Amino acid sequence: MAGGGGAQCLSYAGCNFLRQRLVLSTLSGRPLKIRKIRAKEEDPGLRDFEACFIRLIDKVTNGSRIEINQTGTTLYYQPGLLYGGSLEHDCSPSRSIGYYLESLLCLAPFMKHPLKIVLRGVTNDQVDPSVDVLKATALPLLKKFGIDGESLEIKINRRGMPPKGGGEILFACPVRKVLQPIQFTDPGKIKRIRGTAYSVRVSPQMANRMVESARSVLNKFLPDIYIYTDHMKGISSGNPCRRICNSMGRKDEFPFPHWWCMSISTAAVLPYSASPGFGICLIAETINGTILSAELASNPQGQGAAVLPEELGQNCAKLLLEEIYRGGCVDSTNQSLALLLMTLGQQDVSKVLLGPLSPYTIEFLRHLRSFFQIMFKIEMKSPEEERKGGEKVLMTCVGIGFSNLSKTIR
Amino acid sequence: MEEKEKKKHHAKHSGPKAEKKRKRHLNDLGIGEEEDARKRNPKAFTVQSAVRMARTFHRTQDLKTKKHHIPVVDRTPLEPPPVVVVVVGPPKVGKSTLIKCLIKNFTRQKLVEIRGPVTIVSGKKRRLTIIECGCDVNMMIDLAKVADLVLMLIDASFGFEMETFEFLNICQVHGFPKIMGILTHLDTFKNNKQLKKTKKRLKHRFWTEVYPGAKLFYLSGMVHGEYQKQEIHNLGRFISVMKFRPLTWQTSHPYVLADRMEDLTNPEDIRINPKCDRKISLYGYLRGAYLKNKSQIHMPGVGDFTVSDVSFLPDPCALPEQQKKRSLSEKEKLIYAPLSGVGGIVYDKDAVYIDLGGSHAHENEEEEMRPNHELLQSLISTHSAIDTKMASSKVSLFMDSRPLGSEDVGQEIVMPKEERQIDLKTGRVRRKALFDEEEKKENDDAVSDEEDDQEEEEAMSEDGSNGDDEEDSEEESGEELLEAEMAPGSAKRLKTEVAKEETVSELPAFADSEDDLEMSSEEGQAASEENETEEDDDGDDDEQRTYGNESSDSEFEAASKGTVESEQNELVSEDKEMRSELSVRSLKKKLLLTTDSGNCTAEEASESEVESLSEGDDEEKSQDELEAEVSDRKGFQPKQAGRTGLHAELEVVEADDDVENLLREEEEYEEKIDFSADTAGALKWKEDLTQKAAQAFLRQQQATPNLRKLIYGTAVEDEDREGEDAGDELGGLFHVSRPDKESKQKANGLDCSKFLVEKPQDWDLEEVMSSIRDCFVTGKWEEDKDAAKLLEEDEELYGDFEDLETGVVHKGRPTTEGDESENEEKNDGKKSKPEAEEEEAKKERLEKKRKLKEMFDAEYDEGDATYFDDLKEEMHKQAQLNRAEFEDQDDETRVQYEGFRPGMYVRIEIENVPCEFVLNFDPHYPIILGGLGNSEGNVGYVQLRLKKHRWYKKILKTRDPLILSLGWRRFQTIPMFYIEDHNGRHRLLKYTPQHMHCGATFWGPITPQGTGFLAVQSVCGTTPDFRIAATGVVLDLDKSITVVKKLKLTGFPFKIFKNTSFIKGMFNSQLEVAKFEGAAIRTVSGIRGQIKKALRAPAGAFRATFEDKLLMSDIVFVRTWYPVSIPKFYNPVTSLLKPAGEKDSWRGMRTTGQLRHDRGIKLKQNKDSLYKPIVREKRHFNKLHIPKALQKALPFKNKPKNLEKKGKTPKDQWRPAVIREPHEKKISALLNALSTVNNYKIKKAKVKHRQQIKEYVKVKQKEEEQKLKRQKEAKKKIYRILGQREKKRQKSSLKGSSEGGKSV
Repeated sequence: MAGGGGAQCLSYAGCNFLRQRLVLSTLSGRPLKIRKIRAKEEDPGLRDFEACFIRLIDKVTNGSRIEINQTGTTLYYQPGLLYGGSLEHDCSPSRSIGYYLESLLCLAPFMKHPLKIVLRGVTNDQVDPSVDVLKATALPLLKKFGIDGESLEIKINRRGMPPKGGGEILFACPVRKVLQPIQFTDPGKIKRIRGTAYSVRVSPQMANRMVESARSVLNKFLPDIYIYTDHMKGISSGNPCRRICNSMGRKDEFPFPHWWCMSISTAAVLPYSASPGFGICLIAETINGTILSAELASNPQGQGAAVLPEELGQNCAKLLLEEIYRGGCVDSTNQSLALLLMTLGQQDVSKVLLGPLSPYTIEFLRHLRSFFQIMFKIEMKSPEEERKGGEKVLMTCVGIGFSNLSKTIR
Repeated sequence: MEEKEKKKHHAKHSGPKAEKKRKRHLNDLGIGEEEDARKRNPKAFTVQSAVRMARTFHRTQDLKTKKHHIPVVDRTPLEPPPVVVVVVGPPKVGKSTLIKCLIKNFTRQKLVEIRGPVTIVSGKKRRLTIIECGCDVNMMIDLAKVADLVLMLIDASFGFEMETFEFLNICQVHGFPKIMGILTHLDTFKNNKQLKKTKKRLKHRFWTEVYPGAKLFYLSGMVHGEYQKQEIHNLGRFISVMKFRPLTWQTSHPYVLADRMEDLTNPEDIRINPKCDRKISLYGYLRGAYLKNKSQIHMPGVGDFTVSDVSFLPDPCALPEQQKKRSLSEKEKLIYAPLSGVGGIVYDKDAVYIDLGGSHAHENEEEEMRPNHELLQSLISTHSAIDTKMASSKVSLFMDSRPLGSEDVGQEIVMPKEERQIDLKTGRVRRKALFDEEEKKENDDAVSDEEDDQEEEEAMSEDGSNGDDEEDSEEESGEELLEAEMAPGSAKRLKTEVAKEETVSELPAFADSEDDLEMSSEEGQAASEENETEEDDDGDDDEQRTYGNESSDSEFEAASKGTVESEQNELVSEDKEMRSELSVRSLKKKLLLTTDSGNCTAEEASESEVESLSEGDDEEKSQDELEAEVSDRKGFQPKQAGRTGLHAELEVVEADDDVENLLREEEEYEEKIDFSADTAGALKWKEDLTQKAAQAFLRQQQATPNLRKLIYGTAVEDEDREGEDAGDELGGLFHVSRPDKESKQKANGLDCSKFLVEKPQDWDLEEVMSSIRDCFVTGKWEEDKDAAKLLEEDEELYGDFEDLETGVVHKGRPTTEGDESENEEKNDGKKSKPEAEEEEAKKERLEKKRKLKEMFDAEYDEGDATYFDDLKEEMHKQAQLNRAEFEDQDDETRVQYEGFRPGMYVRIEIENVPCEFVLNFDPHYPIILGGLGNSEGNVGYVQLRLKKHRWYKKILKTRDPLILSLGWRRFQTIPMFYIEDHNGRHRLLKYTPQHMHCGATFWGPITPQGTGFLAVQSVCGTTPDFRIAATGVVLDLDKSITVVKKLKLTGFPFKIFKNTSFIKGMFNSQLEVAKFEGAAIRTVSGIRGQIKKALRAPAGAFRATFEDKLLMSDIVFVRTWYPVSIPKFYNPVTSLLKPAGEKDSWRGMRTTGQLRHDRGIKLKQNKDSLYKPIVREKRHFNKLHIPKALQKALPFKNKPKNLEKKGKTPKDQWRPAVIREPHEKKISALLNALSTVNNYKIKKAKVKHRQQIKEYVKVKQKEEEQKLKRQKEAKKKIYRILGQREKKRQKSSLKGSSEGGKSV
């Protein structure tokens, strides 16, 4: 073959931002090499959740090549085409489902077949954005880019709290050939606040207590507040069955058959059962369809001090206020998703107003440049009025004219 | 005589008079007025049938919607690239002549020889790039992909040739550009009628190929070897007003039709290895879409490359400036064709054209044109000049060197460039050289040291901080502010001393390698100032340099310690004081607003300051002003000031202070190091680092003091750092493992997208709460959105109305005007003047009017607006936004955001080009750089829908290599043909179907779905036949394939039970059987069955059941599908690498048939495949036997009856045979004879009798007729008599009525 041939391989060091890199590599078709993954640590190489993530990527693609060296400190990834279809995946419980779902949200619109995936694992934890938040914030964001339809949904079948997990969600997303550009610069004013207070394997009263305390803070700003309480028990609270135990590598520990624990919840399974916990997530919605979110979850069982639900609710409400102070048209966890979809638009100008950029987003911008040669125009905007929170960032870009190469035409 | 001359009167049949008369006539008839038939005869036009009405309505709607195209966003740039006009036709048809004539028509210049594309200015808004296309398939394919307009020359005296049709087909596949036919050689026709007929015939054929009504031009004849001037002029007019439709592939991919090529390879490398890979630069207008740097491109005929560098150059063939003139002046009629030796480069020694003149002249013009903002302008212009200089100087070098020989040119390369740039100072020259060569080695020692250190430091600090690490940015922002306040001041100061002797039109912006990331105008300016100071530092003014360093250094220290050191000069101290003042003031505020808003508020501040500073570039700008400004700023951005204040005074708080703290501990750790270094001085290099970090920040923040730099600027340094890390070695053996924990931590940090709030604000406080009050609907609204306000306005608009029923007149609030004016007066006393008031009132009126109009428009237009209109409107809006968004930015910055936009004249550098490309360069062949989209450079399986071309004589065979033209590429590959079965299975075909589409899969470059392609068997030589073998479209891309091939496994029964049989010979082992358990099997005779289970012996035998009993002679088979593997063969056609003159002789892989033909190998046919006469044995079948029981059961009618055998007659019933005596024999013979005679007699008599009867019947008939006749006459007589009698009676009865009555 004459000339170069094939896209150039990108090389990175360290395991941070692994998801970004793999996702962008898949979308841009450029091979990727990551070296020195925890090379100097006592426990070198990829962690189980990262391996699990790579497995997931392998599942949704066709023809990708993944090479990991023996110690797991080097990863070579040559992306294939996104395939999709109906899938199942058992997520490692060391990170919540949000960790995996965030990347799937980036990839799902560009599959060959519409993605319909069941993810099992931890639905809510303290580290990653929970499934509830992603459902409330990311899906409306996708809709703005023209990815909508009935099949776009996240359904929480069961909740599972860390450390044992046992939750289950269904994520379905339609396929698009091209995305629409967006002009999303006016967040509008917040018209209502919604939320979910969930309690898993604890007293249902916990949820009510959280709701009360959160309302007490937020009522000073807005009367239209409604926080749902979601008490999960039995099987829907992440009651483990053999399958889940197997997935967690505890094959022999669980003595009961699958059908049995599907049908019953008694004290007999308690020692094996999933973890208790509770938490709250709050969603502020504006008249222009901007959605800002905040969430908090209790400490996992056996880690840290017990948290009072009142305190949790109040803190979460304050976090929401903080998020509102930051402002923007996209909440801080979904900044990168919005920027990615803008990048992958047609060759038109897209604009979005964001709050201060998170470190994750900043790194994402750098990655966007190295994978897609795209730079954003970044303008600082201080709100014209005094009482509208902090400074905002106006991000503008011209899409790269991306089109879904996987989709079949008839 | 007079009478004779008098004209006879003729009644007018046409004209106004006749019209009038006719009208009058009609009027007289009473139908004149109503001319409209509909009116005159309305009944004829009523609805006859509702169904029919509906149908016609549907039809009209269908026709209407058929006209609609899906609206697309109009992405044509404001200044479009030249239109590519491809002149195509068979040889000797007059292509070159036409091009020459066109060029002469537009530019009044006569080109002797045309090589490669020629760009000319054809009008005020249009340029043309004209290129000739020969009849090499490669060239035709390439040019069809980039053409906007095709001039298709046809020799009328000969008619259409294959090339024409081939080119048309190529065009159809790759998007259909505008095509205009031109008939030449029309002067060969002597007979006018024949000419007419030929024209008509050719026109209609052309129309069927292109579209009915396509433009066909006639060039009637030659005058002095040229076409007629008027005809060419007309053609030119047509070309320059033509509109083009956007083609999908072209608008979605950037491409360049290169009009200039230079070899940039190091001559030394070539000397060592003449076959080494080359580095070349190609020039041309960018077309299609935005081109990004470092993107992938494909050069048809050469291969895939990665762009190593792109830069835009001033337009060598620019459109005239905007002016209101009807036509172009001679000066503006530019022509640019470097390959032909026109426009900038010398090819001949007796050159009429000026070498390198174009670009420089252009640049001078620019400078002259805009003398206003000198500094800015000069910066920008010099800026562009470096590009041109860089490009052109390299160019000139090689252009010279090529004819001369490359050995001794090496030194000369550098010299002219240097000379150009040495203006006033020596120090500057070196920097430029540095930039030109893009190597840091030759850098000034001091600079390099400094910069290296900077980088290191920056890398240290910023690697550690992940992007916008709190501590870092925090520290930075502290420094930034200090420096932003401080450094421009100092820079200014230095400048006052130096600036006079240096012209500002130097090229300082490029000195700093970090700065070439972006150069917006004001930033550039800032950078220039800074750089100038720096250069001063480096070059001549050591003192100042140290001063600068020290000052910034001390600044840094001050920032961290909050002490003012003695060595600082007055400026610093002043600043210091000011700042401390600020800090004291804002401390209170700080307490309230404990957090800052985000990443880069401080940077913003500094940016704005730098801006303001750089704007006023007077040298007299004094420190007072600076001070004033800063103090102004206090009010403007108290928060920032507050922050700096805190930094200055409370170093301990510093670390905790910031918001975005991702890795707090690490930063603290780092900070500690810094501080310890400062205080204890234990690690000298680290101390140095801090100083240099300060300087680095000073520079960095001045140059691009914004978030963009923070995000995109540091990414580069990250990579640099990586390299440094590797370089650290001790004694050449051991690597020093530095404990730079923060960078490691960052690299292996927690991968989480959440943006944690590190230091939440106290939301119980009223002030804090009020900071977001307006984010809620309960808060205050903007003027234009406030419901109350809007209501009020509405009232103003609609306030006045009269109630018609009651007659009451309602007035809108009459006092509003007054109120408002009063309010205004209250608000600002200054505006109390009546003029202002009036203006205000006028404005308001206008506003009101506008609103009313809007409302009216909305109401009025609503009815018509359809989905289609909405969509169009939306697209239009998007297009406008696209144009407007980056309009105000200068090209350097714009290029960063958008990429290089179409219409720019770009220079593209490419490395690792095969040397044959340069050695065998032929300007006649087009060089196209086609940009590739994401992952279009990868290879995979591509599925096509393919149809053999109906004019191609052969059918195509699976697994024969085929040359495809797909996307930008031409390549040879091995396709497999398949057809989709009803159940979705892709079944392999051995050959393409004759007149049907089929599928094809091949291994090759991934190209977006919906892209058209064409296939040819070979690209070499010419054949009389049509060359395009197949056409089609890409359907799907995948990494795996689904094509299968039928495979029948056969077996034989070896034991037959009733319906069960044992079959052997189909499989080889039990395992294989197990795999096929339950599979459907069949015998050749059509008995269906199923595989049941494997038998123990023999191996591979199995039990199967069938719907009927088998015979031993039956053959059993199972039908299976076997996946086909596709050969991974992808071979780009490298026709441009062939030596000149042989470029159309590229041969790739040959087909088996060709190979066999070439080597003379005869195909050995399988004997079994030969056809033999079929000999069939006659088969005898046994009689049908119906069992007795069955027979009994049958109904009588179906019972076999006749076939029943008679029983044997008993012997006694046998009749004895009669044996005659001779006498008896005689008797019987006689009797026989007699009876024969008798028979004959009887026969004769019979015939006679029949005759007699016939005659008798005849006679009888005659008699009968006569009889009838007589009877008739008699009857007549009787009736007549009877009639007479009747008459008489009547008469008598009339006479005597009474009698008559009686008689009755």
